[in-house]
Amino acid sequence: MRNDDRTPIDLTTVVHPDGRLSQYPPAEHWDDWTEWDAKAWPRKVAKHYTLVPTVCFNCESACGLMAYVDKETNEIRKFEGNPAHPGSRGRNCAKGPATHNQVYDPERILYPLKRVGARGEGRWRRISWDEALDEISEKMRASRAKRRDGIMYHVGRPGEDHYANRVIQTWGVDGHNSHTNICSAASRAGYFLWSGGDRPSPDYANAKAILLISAHLESGHYFNPHAQRIIEAQQAGAKIVTFDPRLSNTAAKSDVWLPTWPGSEATVLLAIANHLLQTGAWDREFVKTWVNWEESLRAVPGWAEDDAVKEATREALRRPDGPTFDDFEAMLKALYRDFTFERAAAEAQVPIERIVEAAEIVASAGSAVAAHNWRAASMGNRGGWQVARCLFFLNVLTGSVGTEGGTSLNSWNKFVPKPHSSPPAGDAWNELHLPVEWPFAFYEMSFCLPHFLDEGRGDVDVYFTRVYNPLWINPDGFMWLDALKSEDKIKCHVAMTPTWNESAWFADYVLPMGHAGERHDVMSQETHAGSWIAFRQPVQRVALERAGKPVERTWEANPGEVWEEAEWWIDLSARMDPDGSLGIRQHFESPYRDGEIITVDEYFRWIFENSVPGLPEAAAAEDLTPLAYMRKYGAFEVTKDVYRPYAEPGDDGQPVGFKTPSRKLEFFSPTLRDWGWTEQSYAVPWPLESHVSPANIDRDAGEMLLLPNFRLPTLIHTRSANAKWLYELSHRNPVWIHPSDASRIGVQTGDLVRIETEIGSMVDAVWVTEGIKPGIVAISHHLGRWRLKQSDNIGAGMSSLVTLDRTGDVHSLRIDEPGGAWKTSDPDTSRVWWDDVGVHQNLTHAVHPDPLSGAHCWHQKAVAVTKAGPGDRHGDVQVDVGRSMAIYREWLALARPATEHSPDGTRRPYWLKRPLKPTRAAYRLPGRDEETS
Amino acid sequence: MTSYGFAIDNRKCIGCHACSTACKSENEVPLGVFRTWVKSVETGLYPDVTRHFQVTRCNHCTDAPCATICPTSAMHKRDDGIVDFDKDACIGCKACMQACPYDAVHIEPETRTAAKCNFCAHRVTVGLEPACVVVCPEHAIVAGDLHDPSSELSRLLAAEPTTVRRPEKGTSPKLFYVDGERVLMQPTPPDAPPSVPYTVERKQERPWHWPVPAYLVTKAIAAGTPAVAALAVLTGLGSEVGVAAAVVSLVGLLATTALLVGDLERPERFLYILKRPNWDSWLARGAVVLTAFGALLTAWLGVEVMGLMRGATGPLRVVLLAAGTPIALMAAVYTAFLFAQAKGRDLWLNPWLAPHLAVQAIAIGAVTLLGLGATFGLGPPATHQMLVYLLTGATLIDLMLRAAEDPLWRSSFSGQMLAGGALSGLAAALPWLSIDLPILAQVSAPLAYAGLYLYEHAFVMAPQDIPNA
Repeated sequence: MRNDDRTPIDLTTVVHPDGRLSQYPPAEHWDDWTEWDAKAWPRKVAKHYTLVPTVCFNCESACGLMAYVDKETNEIRKFEGNPAHPGSRGRNCAKGPATHNQVYDPERILYPLKRVGARGEGRWRRISWDEALDEISEKMRASRAKRRDGIMYHVGRPGEDHYANRVIQTWGVDGHNSHTNICSAASRAGYFLWSGGDRPSPDYANAKAILLISAHLESGHYFNPHAQRIIEAQQAGAKIVTFDPRLSNTAAKSDVWLPTWPGSEATVLLAIANHLLQTGAWDREFVKTWVNWEESLRAVPGWAEDDAVKEATREALRRPDGPTFDDFEAMLKALYRDFTFERAAAEAQVPIERIVEAAEIVASAGSAVAAHNWRAASMGNRGGWQVARCLFFLNVLTGSVGTEGGTSLNSWNKFVPKPHSSPPAGDAWNELHLPVEWPFAFYEMSFCLPHFLDEGRGDVDVYFTRVYNPLWINPDGFMWLDALKSEDKIKCHVAMTPTWNESAWFADYVLPMGHAGERHDVMSQETHAGSWIAFRQPVQRVALERAGKPVERTWEANPGEVWEEAEWWIDLSARMDPDGSLGIRQHFESPYRDGEIITVDEYFRWIFENSVPGLPEAAAAEDLTPLAYMRKYGAFEVTKDVYRPYAEPGDDGQPVGFKTPSRKLEFFSPTLRDWGWTEQSYAVPWPLESHVSPANIDRDAGEMLLLPNFRLPTLIHTRSANAKWLYELSHRNPVWIHPSDASRIGVQTGDLVRIETEIGSMVDAVWVTEGIKPGIVAISHHLGRWRLKQSDNIGAGMSSLVTLDRTGDVHSLRIDEPGGAWKTSDPDTSRVWWDDVGVHQNLTHAVHPDPLSGAHCWHQKAVAVTKAGPGDRHGDVQVDVGRSMAIYREWLALARPATEHSPDGTRRPYWLKRPLKPTRAAYRLPGRDEETS
Repeated sequence: MTSYGFAIDNRKCIGCHACSTACKSENEVPLGVFRTWVKSVETGLYPDVTRHFQVTRCNHCTDAPCATICPTSAMHKRDDGIVDFDKDACIGCKACMQACPYDAVHIEPETRTAAKCNFCAHRVTVGLEPACVVVCPEHAIVAGDLHDPSSELSRLLAAEPTTVRRPEKGTSPKLFYVDGERVLMQPTPPDAPPSVPYTVERKQERPWHWPVPAYLVTKAIAAGTPAVAALAVLTGLGSEVGVAAAVVSLVGLLATTALLVGDLERPERFLYILKRPNWDSWLARGAVVLTAFGALLTAWLGVEVMGLMRGATGPLRVVLLAAGTPIALMAAVYTAFLFAQAKGRDLWLNPWLAPHLAVQAIAIGAVTLLGLGATFGLGPPATHQMLVYLLTGATLIDLMLRAAEDPLWRSSFSGQMLAGGALSGLAAALPWLSIDLPILAQVSAPLAYAGLYLYEHAFVMAPQDIPNA
């Protein structure tokens, strides 16, 4: 089908009103687009492509990508942006184009592998997908026959909405385990207790004040779409205030940078709240209408600590006509009066003028305060969930909830369409996911799984890790190493991953799954005041189909035998229940062909035809089926300009309000009180003392705070190895240290330091910088990947070759060879010019499960930071797992278990969000059947 | 007429590197080199510290020195103002890298040819924006036609004050920065504190290595010997030494050519200089000079051989050498004009360079003839005396000019400068005694070559260590 006389369409005569050249090929030419070959240029060699939209998988933003698939070779030439995508609007970050690296990674896994020899020995046998399906489904069937908590699906980045969750639910097990508790759990808890929504969705583009406790100009959910709108707003006059002890790129672009001492953020936020309250710069009407002020007021005697506040409220409550909103206002003013700028400045160790400036920015923004907390302080500190709660307090006080330029809740701006069949809620409860100690955990206590296993709390029959490297990413990785090696605790480990990782090394099966352009998913994210869905596609499959070559299964078009998960789950589930007796098979039957197993095309076809409002009409207008429309454009805008949906009338004629028990925004949380968190510092927005507060870090004795959880705009969490363009930009993770601390311990940039944590130590080089708060050392969390053998693993340029050792309880890791060039089919790997590929710091982190939210509190106490000694080598890590368990038990003791505090004999407040909520019956604590709520 | 340019709006840039990878993807740029990268620097003291970013790349200069110096027009300016490159025409002489005052050009490891940002000419030609512009989350990179007042670029430039990098270089860059940060606009000093660890670490590399100073020495031998011989024939020059001198000159020229070709990244393409010359380039002009000079030397050798066979040199010898002297001197000094086209190396932009090269060639020519004369019989004593005076005088001027090269003496090459000067001085002194001790003349020639090499090495290397980006 060569047609080499076709030359590119000339767009030079197209006039755009904004005075730009064209940015994208016009949609009518996507099927057949010609470009001059950049490599041959200035020779004019025409290349013919079919353009297939898909969705990036290199963070959770779900930005649009456009694959340029060569019409002659069916190879993917490049990934650009998809202009039809309402969230990313055709633009991408560094990670988008780097998708190409992942597809053409010379070391990717191409075939299913099964372990040979002992677990972790590193010997593998190639097997067929048939064998993998048969063997694994058989283990699952056996487990399911015995129990409802033997199968565990442990997911890192889902990268899709609902598909896998539905599959797990069909199995009838409590099987969903996530990474949320090392990611966003604390912030979710803070938002949820206010509103019943667990994530904020700021309308940055229209904001006047942007408050960030995050680094949204380089990371966060959702970096690229949000960074576009934040800067747009700033250009239009909005002011940005950023809380971060480290000079992030975001902090550098902000109008006000508040380098707060970790744990002081809530105090600073309440000082701003106090300023609003005392100066009258708050939205009384909004608060009066939408906050549970009366409920809060009535409860004051139960939670308030200040006698005057209690007495005044009691008096108001005694009045015959009951308390008024004025009483609530008086109570608020009295409650927060001590949160002065002076106090905030002292606790945060920040110049007072900056806090005043921040407060004035908020006070003058009206109801256009867009605020975001994502990880950062909420995930760094014990009690960090209160940071998000205090931040949302500012949204509430300014009436910036769901307004133009304000902050919405994610569910208003995210659309998850329903599939053809929805299995019923399960009736099981897996104690390894949500043990009774943390009834408020958001969500599963996943990072403590090895500690639970070590305590003998249970075992796992079939453990799936999916786009997840628990041994590497979680704190206390040597505990994970022990758990993964233990065949009596984790009986079968299936690693679903496109590339090698440290955890997969300790798997029984390694199953290669597709990258962004090699799979089907539907995804939506709350990027702005509207909602959309995006369609990830196996682009080579779609290209073949466009060329009239039928493809039955996606792997036929993918490299090697790389499967897509959607097909894997269908086949696996169907084989788990061949005769339908377990009730699983019915959910995998086609809605179009009676009794036949569904195809991926049919699955998404049904969704697009039936569950996405407006899509069938939009498709018909272009003379396309809904599925064809999504295949062509890859995205669909479902709603736009969504504001104040809570004010819309519900079925009862009343405003729908919020998804809290009171349908109001809950200033005071009756739920917390009922479950034993009765103190003022839990009941209402209030600071909680962090485990790394100044009182807990003895700087005079040489202790420092280790800030280990910041991210870079150029890396993909733990998945950047195998993306050569990204590693070339960012491959090492030195320790940020302020010059005053560096001179105290006698080091200069490049020198090695030894950092001792509560459970171990590590050795890394320092970067001396003014961009870090004195008393704090900071290390980016992405880097420090390693491999145990020279072959069959992530390449030398991306990882260090290490030796693991164990003596008693003390584990150690030592780098034998740093990174460097290596030979593969890709000539670029022999051009690797760096050797330092970082230090695996997470191994030295003790687990810190927050007593309430269950979130891992990432900040670590650096017991000592000293110049490295003669025996220390870059990358050395040592950890005493005996200490690991001791620290775990210290934190465990702080929790308030449901068994002691549940008001109704259940494990967890039922209205609290959790993935795949089981039936109410499953919420019953064992032996507490008789109680009623 | 279209004139494409960029504006980079630093108010919007968040330093995310989307442009860096989009460029790698669009142009399939190998690891190790970047056509666009992000410089970043921190300024101030905690807590009054901030970080600046600067997308950095080719400026598509109106007066592009890379295109002027390129001997084959591989690096060329298109009619629409884009400075493009043609890997199929590039011989890999790396002169463009010396000419660019912004360090925007590199050698691509796959093709071993020069490459840089070419404004995605293959896209812009059909009306599509460059890949970096399309990918940028902030639309901080604006590309457009400077001559079209309605283009977004023209409107932005009309509305906002902008700056360019190093305007004093006289290149008229067409990449304009809104809110350009002074610290970033200037090249990063070698002793600057380390930048943010997660960014491109650009190594300062020297495009030209030892063959270039070696070529300057062999060329001085080749050119200086006939030029000095032209004087010597006036006082008398033996036939045998004449043949030897012509042979040495020719060997010097062949070595010069071999070194030049050998230092090319694509030596097999060396004839492109003559097949597709860019007559603005002193590399191309120099090739013609050297070719003509090669013909002259061949003729000279013929005349000398004829003279030897006949036992007497005729007037042809005098006429040929007299007429050839300007060509010889041109061969000696044209490199000064080439260095002057290397706008990226301030230390080469020395108005004394041409006379200096001439003086060096004369000293080298004199010492070469003296050395050969000690072996083959120079001729009358007056010739010896004249050559010794010439050598001494030329060396004194050479050394004075070397002494005036302040920046070289302050560079890490000061030791070489000193050793080179000592050797050259010694080489000029010894021949004073060589009437009685001919061996002194024989050793002074290699000493002079070594002294000159050491100096030229410093002269070529030290300026290449001064960063431009």
